[in-house]
Amino acid sequence: MGGAELIHLPLPVLLGALLVLAGCWLLALKMLKLALAGEQEPQQERDWSVPVIDAAAGGSSIFHRWDVRFKLVALLGFAFLVVATRSPWSALVAICLSFSAVLLAGLPLARSMRRLLAMSGFLAMFLLIMPLTAVPRPADTLLVFSGLEYLPFNLRGLQLALAIIGKACAVALLMEPLLATASLPRTIEGLTRLGVPEKVGQMILLAHRYLFVFLEEARRMATGMQVRGFRRRTSIATLQVMGNYLGMLFVRSFERTHRVYDAMQSRGYQGRFPAPAYFAVSVSDWLLAASWLLLGLALLLFDRLWLGGV
Amino acid sequence: MHDLNRLPPIDFDGPAQFELRELHFAYPNGHQALRGIDLSIAAGDRIALVGQNGSGKSTLIKHLNGLLPVQQGELVYQGQPLSGDQLQQARLEIGVLFQDPDDQLFCSTLYDDVCFGLLNQGIALETAEPLVRRSLAAVGLEALIYKPSHHLSYGQKKRAALACLLAMQPQVLILDEPTANLDPGQENILVELLRAFQGTLICITHDLLFAYELCQRAVVLDKGQVHHDYTMAELVSHPPSMREHGLDFSFRLAGLSTQEMPAQQACNLPPETPPSIVPELKSPVSAVVELRDYQFSYPDGTQALRGVDFALQAGESVAIVGENGAGKTTLLSCLMGIQGGRGEHLLEGRALDKKQRQLLWRKVGMVFQDPADQLFCASCAEEVAFGPRQLGLPAAEVARRVDAALQRVRLDAYHDRVPLHLSGGERKRLAIATVLSMEPELLILDEPTAGLDPQGEELLLEILKELSQTRILVTHDPFLVAELTQRTLVLHRGQVLEDYPTAAFLADQNQKALNLLAVGYKQVRSREILELQHQHRHSHRHRHLHDHPHRHGDLVHSHPHEHEHDHPHAFTHVHGADSAEHCHRPLGGFHEHNHPGHEAEEHTHRHGDDGTSRD
Amino acid sequence: MHISDGVLPISVALGSGVASLAVAAWSVRQTDADDLPKVAVVTASFFVSSLIHVPLGPTSVHLLIPGLVGVLLGRSAFLAILLGLLLQSLLFQFGGLTALGANALLMGVPALACGLLFSKLRGTTQRQHVIVGGLAGGGGTLASAVLLALLLASGGEDFFGVAKLALLSHLPVFVVEGLVSAFTVSFLFRVKPELLRQQRLGALS
Repeated sequence: MGGAELIHLPLPVLLGALLVLAGCWLLALKMLKLALAGEQEPQQERDWSVPVIDAAAGGSSIFHRWDVRFKLVALLGFAFLVVATRSPWSALVAICLSFSAVLLAGLPLARSMRRLLAMSGFLAMFLLIMPLTAVPRPADTLLVFSGLEYLPFNLRGLQLALAIIGKACAVALLMEPLLATASLPRTIEGLTRLGVPEKVGQMILLAHRYLFVFLEEARRMATGMQVRGFRRRTSIATLQVMGNYLGMLFVRSFERTHRVYDAMQSRGYQGRFPAPAYFAVSVSDWLLAASWLLLGLALLLFDRLWLGGV
Repeated sequence: MHDLNRLPPIDFDGPAQFELRELHFAYPNGHQALRGIDLSIAAGDRIALVGQNGSGKSTLIKHLNGLLPVQQGELVYQGQPLSGDQLQQARLEIGVLFQDPDDQLFCSTLYDDVCFGLLNQGIALETAEPLVRRSLAAVGLEALIYKPSHHLSYGQKKRAALACLLAMQPQVLILDEPTANLDPGQENILVELLRAFQGTLICITHDLLFAYELCQRAVVLDKGQVHHDYTMAELVSHPPSMREHGLDFSFRLAGLSTQEMPAQQACNLPPETPPSIVPELKSPVSAVVELRDYQFSYPDGTQALRGVDFALQAGESVAIVGENGAGKTTLLSCLMGIQGGRGEHLLEGRALDKKQRQLLWRKVGMVFQDPADQLFCASCAEEVAFGPRQLGLPAAEVARRVDAALQRVRLDAYHDRVPLHLSGGERKRLAIATVLSMEPELLILDEPTAGLDPQGEELLLEILKELSQTRILVTHDPFLVAELTQRTLVLHRGQVLEDYPTAAFLADQNQKALNLLAVGYKQVRSREILELQHQHRHSHRHRHLHDHPHRHGDLVHSHPHEHEHDHPHAFTHVHGADSAEHCHRPLGGFHEHNHPGHEAEEHTHRHGDDGTSRD
Repeated sequence: MHISDGVLPISVALGSGVASLAVAAWSVRQTDADDLPKVAVVTASFFVSSLIHVPLGPTSVHLLIPGLVGVLLGRSAFLAILLGLLLQSLLFQFGGLTALGANALLMGVPALACGLLFSKLRGTTQRQHVIVGGLAGGGGTLASAVLLALLLASGGEDFFGVAKLALLSHLPVFVVEGLVSAFTVSFLFRVKPELLRQQRLGALS
């Protein structure tokens, strides 16, 4: 371990740190549960006679009013700029920016938190593994815990892991302002205006629509198996039943796809969905997009020049 | 009745809207679906397209809007063959309501779905918007215009699909089993909407009451050919002809008298429903299953069950009825142990805890409404063996149960058939076999006859009547309730509103105190059809044409001879439209009917040929 | 098995994005224009099946099914997988926006390979179908795991440990996936063999 700085620490410090981490994670889980439960309580039938924007009902924030095309370009561009940074500190700044976007858009926090939690497993792997597997370099600081001398803890690895987690969270937080502030068809239309082939956009919408149909079908079939005594176990028999189950799911979806296509054709489908919606561009759209991209650019420059991410 | 050359019963003015001549069609797998269809359809015709499964109905309607190409023969729409530009135009004028509304609602919101066809018709968005609103308002969905389709109930989806078509102001409306899986309330709405439709209506259906309500003309397909083409009234008044095509629903009318409705019939049931069956009076030990103050709320806060109390004795057969959303499905999943709520749930007198609830499947079997949700194996034998294997039974016992269960549902030789390839009725019966093979103590049936044709329905009824298990039946069909159950629970907003003998329920139903089951028009039409099929015994002088050995003094010989006599017999005839009492002239002429013992009795008649007459 | 945002070096993220766009364009062109809506509907079912969890000892794994998608859709498989991933990041944010290209490559390329393998080797008997199907199913997952490890390792030697771990953690999934795929192919062979022939979807009705 040529030249790396070694710091010796007693083992309980490591255990303590792990405990604190696990505690934080559990706490976050609990909070999310509470938040979600709170969100669902006023379950009255929503008024569907007004156009609602996916998930975040009736928003009128700056994000909701933003032209979809500009929003897509600006936030996607911003995401790539964030990903290009290297230091955990710039990731932290990016998180703050993204978080302010969530607040600005007036979106419920619970959904954003759920997205973060969904990837927490994958990211936790980095946090646990990177410090142990990062290759020691001369400038690195290694923590050596008593009793675990053969497993030095590389602080640079921790830094790398934190940067990754930070960037992932920053982009994940952007997803809600990006997608939940306009209806999906509108977002897709924005995409097609930006050059994504119209057919591909329609495919996304169709797949999204039938996702729910198949989820329901899959759920009913699972219940059907359950009431005949099927329980998932670690066994070949279980795998065989799962194989049949998947097969049945595919058969039903292939059959449905033909029926759907028939129905489309019989209402005059000739290869394209008619959807001439209207986009109005204002100066504020330009301004907003430009400022997001500039922010991202500034962050990247700051990261590369000052924080010394090389 | 097999008069193939009979003209359509509706008078044509001018050219036909559809003209089909010698239409043949074979699928790539070689199945010959149409074998020379000849049919003229006039604008404004209202046609019921009926026939057995596989008779070519679906193939035929897929031709009518060009989803399948004409292989052989001719198909003319508005004077031009259906292809090319004419086909595109035709598709915008012909609306097809497919069976599963999910297939038809392929956009993200109702608004987009209704718009889809309009924009394809070349209507500008600004003009389309009011049309969309109007057609959604017509089906009662204007408040849900921006709702994604997957959040709609089945009935709402069906209406939305219809709105998509009606917005396009079609000249022709083709319906494929429009009433399948609809509850009576939704069906009523649909009928009202269709009745208001002015254009040509072509309707595939097994439900002849529905067809009788909407259509004037009946086209019966058989093996890819038009077998009959006559008025709806002619079809329904002739049971033998319906039976021939698997359409005979007369068994449903059997209990009806023209005066009294099902209540009468139900009261005639054997008196095995003494009032003592009221659960409180029984000791809980003898109950197969019992719920006490059972509550259930979904995670989203909807309270589906609010204190349900009921007990089921061994061998009982109980109907659970209630409007959609009354909590029937939730109750069933609680009984199955799929869901667990608060309150006491007892099985054979013992309260169940969470762990035991997981084991309920060993004692309670359920047949789902849609067999597709229950069948997932590659052969019938495997399918039926699945449950017993999960029970951990030895192979020999499993095999025995598979044989027995398949035999029970009349699928004896079906062991190696693929469930997916069976007909709807067979699949339903297979689903029942998969549950029967587990020999459950309690059998739950959810709308067992949904989507079946009358023939399949009759067979299923026969099978269900043979079963001895304690049964719970959930259905909207008053006929099934009357035929299969002795006790009825009326569920309303998560509570048991009534728990009484089925006869009493049917009486309620009849007095319109409760209107949960039959659609109003169906009751009326059933009576009408019964009038049409009116068959009864009465006496009057009539003539017979006989051919049998008979004796004239010493001479014994045989030849056709006619003679007149007076005796009661049954025959089908139509009464005047609103004749309350039974009055009609004795009909002269020959009647075909059995005349037992006639040969033995000595009788006389005029021998016309040789001029001798010995009276 | 998804790479989230921020893991890959920006050059790799952009590069794989461009590469997956190119493959997707090819995949679209290989698909009959009339079949595109049908592929979309079928994709929804793949998406649903990727949510299914199979128990494995004390934990459970969820299926990835790149191999099966390839077996069923042939050359349209890449398109279906890209769509599925896009939906996933719209709905759940498993795989991030910037890593979409990389994720599409690591699932889609094995899917294409498995599709090809299956169509060449499936033979005519059920036995052969099942064996090749199982190989394709398991092989698809294995290839995806290898690609995942390679992409992770592109971050430099610091990431080798993570890459190794990712590869190892997918070994049991590979076995499960192979067996489930074999059973699915066996089921389809008996019930609806035409699905296994990778024909145009239009020819199946």
